[in-house]
Amino acid sequence: MGLGWYITRRVAWTFVVTLIIVSVTFILLSAAPNPEVAKAATQAALQGDNPAEAEERIRMIRGLDKPFTERYLEYVTGVYTLNWGWSTMNNEPVTKSVFEALYYTAQYSIPWTLLTITLGPIAGLYSAASQYSWKDHVATGITFFGYAIPNFFFGIVLLLIFGVQLGWVPVLYNTDVPVFSLANAKQLFLPIFVLVTGSIGGIMRVSRNESSEYMNADFVKTAKAKGVSRYRIYARHVLRPTMVPLSTTMVGQLLALFVGSSLLVEIVFGIPGIGRLSYAAIIAQDTSVVLGFTLFFTFLATISNLLQDIVYTVLDPRISFDDR
Amino acid sequence: MATKNTSERFDTVDWDEIAANAPDGNGTSTRAYLAALGLLAVLFVYDLVVASGEATFAAVGVSYDVPLFHWVLAFSLLSFAFLGLLPLVRNRGHASANFAGIVVATGAMLAVIIYDGIYLANAVPTFSAIGWNYDVTGLDYLFGFSLLVFAFYAALPLYQNPRMTSYYWSEFRKNRPAMVSLVFLAFIFGVGIVGPLFINYPEAEFFRKYQPPVFATVSMNFVLECVGQQANGVCHGTWDYPLGTTNQGRDILTMIIYGMQISAKIAFVTTLIAIGVGTAVGTISAYAGGLVDEVLMRYVDIMQSFPTLILYLLILYIFGADLTLFILLLGFFSWSGTARYVRSNALAKSQEEYIKAVQLSGASLYRIIRRHIIPNTASSIVTDLTLLIPAFLLAEAQLAFLGLGDSEIASWGVLISVGRNDLSFAPWITLAPGIVLFFTILAFAFIGDAALDALDPEAQAEAES
Repeated sequence: MGLGWYITRRVAWTFVVTLIIVSVTFILLSAAPNPEVAKAATQAALQGDNPAEAEERIRMIRGLDKPFTERYLEYVTGVYTLNWGWSTMNNEPVTKSVFEALYYTAQYSIPWTLLTITLGPIAGLYSAASQYSWKDHVATGITFFGYAIPNFFFGIVLLLIFGVQLGWVPVLYNTDVPVFSLANAKQLFLPIFVLVTGSIGGIMRVSRNESSEYMNADFVKTAKAKGVSRYRIYARHVLRPTMVPLSTTMVGQLLALFVGSSLLVEIVFGIPGIGRLSYAAIIAQDTSVVLGFTLFFTFLATISNLLQDIVYTVLDPRISFDDR
Repeated sequence: MATKNTSERFDTVDWDEIAANAPDGNGTSTRAYLAALGLLAVLFVYDLVVASGEATFAAVGVSYDVPLFHWVLAFSLLSFAFLGLLPLVRNRGHASANFAGIVVATGAMLAVIIYDGIYLANAVPTFSAIGWNYDVTGLDYLFGFSLLVFAFYAALPLYQNPRMTSYYWSEFRKNRPAMVSLVFLAFIFGVGIVGPLFINYPEAEFFRKYQPPVFATVSMNFVLECVGQQANGVCHGTWDYPLGTTNQGRDILTMIIYGMQISAKIAFVTTLIAIGVGTAVGTISAYAGGLVDEVLMRYVDIMQSFPTLILYLLILYIFGADLTLFILLLGFFSWSGTARYVRSNALAKSQEEYIKAVQLSGASLYRIIRRHIIPNTASSIVTDLTLLIPAFLLAEAQLAFLGLGDSEIASWGVLISVGRNDLSFAPWITLAPGIVLFFTILAFAFIGDAALDALDPEAQAEAES
């Protein structure tokens, strides 16, 4: 069976996974008391109207009086056709809110991801090339530091030092500056730095262990004997086999970090991205927006899992398509 | 994990006698346990769905509404009777010290729970009869149980196998950062478990807010009453408050000790749940194979794609924040890694010669899993834990920082977020708990690194070749 069939099967499975997750969130949310209905009832009671009538009315407007199965079908088709409902907090469609927030999130998450996936393996390779020397120990020390310090705490401390005390970077995030400008680079430097130090550790560790395995392998010795230059050996003969197990670790780790860190870092640095909007939505009890973000992160997770598996099979031809 | 007959040689063992004494009711008791659990579950669902508004047994004329506490208690007693007491009585004489110990200790704890919950009806502090003013809550019992499991199945086996322990110890001792980390973690968790039992939670003393730590100073503009020396409009710290006080005048050192207990609870309870469920699912999946394996592993796939943090936020937004809920949720959503490890390890090990040897000598499936697969998977479980536990602690701190955690408790994250607004003049409020959290996570990272080398000599040899 070929790659095509494998990818088809994987995509079908991804669809099943998202469907299950979407159903679980739907059931959870329909079991919960709806804050909007409760609010309408309270308001009616305050104005001297009949609260039960007001409840009925809001249920009809929101379509909650329909039977469960009909609502479920409507909801599921809405999810897959990007009709995610109306945000009462921002008074706009949820998809619009999500895409607007994504614009700010992308500004720091793209450089962050690029830096992590380039610097991580390189640092690991560098460490492995001079294993057990002081260079290795310094690199390992920095890695452990970055891994162990909580991102949000590190962000606060750096902001205190460089923003408040030294005044080198702005304390408040400014949404008006153009994307490609010095001011934007300045205000995004600290969040990106914090995120990269946090995420680089695991990747550097794995790539160090993996590549140290190949440093003295026969094919590397052969290449050395043939007079291949050092950097070519590292790039062509060591990095490539290292990337196979690394690619799987990398996607999973980055994703787990993305969900947790983006929220915290955005709040610490005041960036109005995905994380902050979902936080605001939870505080404001804006059900549709909360649901929208759950879906967004779920889709992100399943799609990256899919990509990871495909990359894995493409990079390493020894893996058969038959067993997942 | 020494049993009585390990010293006997294979050919000197009287196999006929063992076969004659073999417990024959194993299958029946398992079935009885599952049946009882099923009945309980049906009753519970009935209570939730059909009799949601009224008393549980209203239909048969008994006006007794079963509270959640009684459901949990019934479940615990059932499990204790079938999984603990029954095997202990049946195997009396040749039960291991570990098993006997945990059954007796858990029985004692259940007795305290019944005394606390039914006799005292949770109204007065548990130990008020002997004049000790410490109220034990539901989470404390869970924490106590996980400590018991840890003592009888992690600490006691180390004592029972001195040769193996000294080998691991000598391997481990080569790594100095890991040694320091171990001492540090033992200190943190030791103080965290014992400290709050004897130290009262710090009272808010508004006039003593923003006291600086020892050797530090703060401008008199921010403090109302300086406990230490004051000179030139500057307040000096004192040993009364070694790490200073918060904006409400609470002692930060005591709050950090309370935070240690919360961290210890998170670490032990979630670990117990994650390992328990993960090992069970992993071994069942590996041994059942076929459709069961496929379904379980696909479920693990789904769980790994499900963003736990977002799920927690969702549940919190529906039911409200609670540390117990948070711990249970973390535990029940983080076993996927352990399950995968155990499954692949069990599959690999089942091909080994020694497993075939025990199979031929007639060991039961349960015994093979319990005695040979799980101990041989321990190394990967331990290394997995050194990644999981810091992630749990970090998750709690992050949620507390966002103000979405349990606001009743004094975790490190709560303290970090409390100090955030006063960062410019009173940075110690945020820095002290933040630094403790940083060192805790760092300690786990170093121990994980060392454990990988000590427990898995193959990996090291591979890396050095």
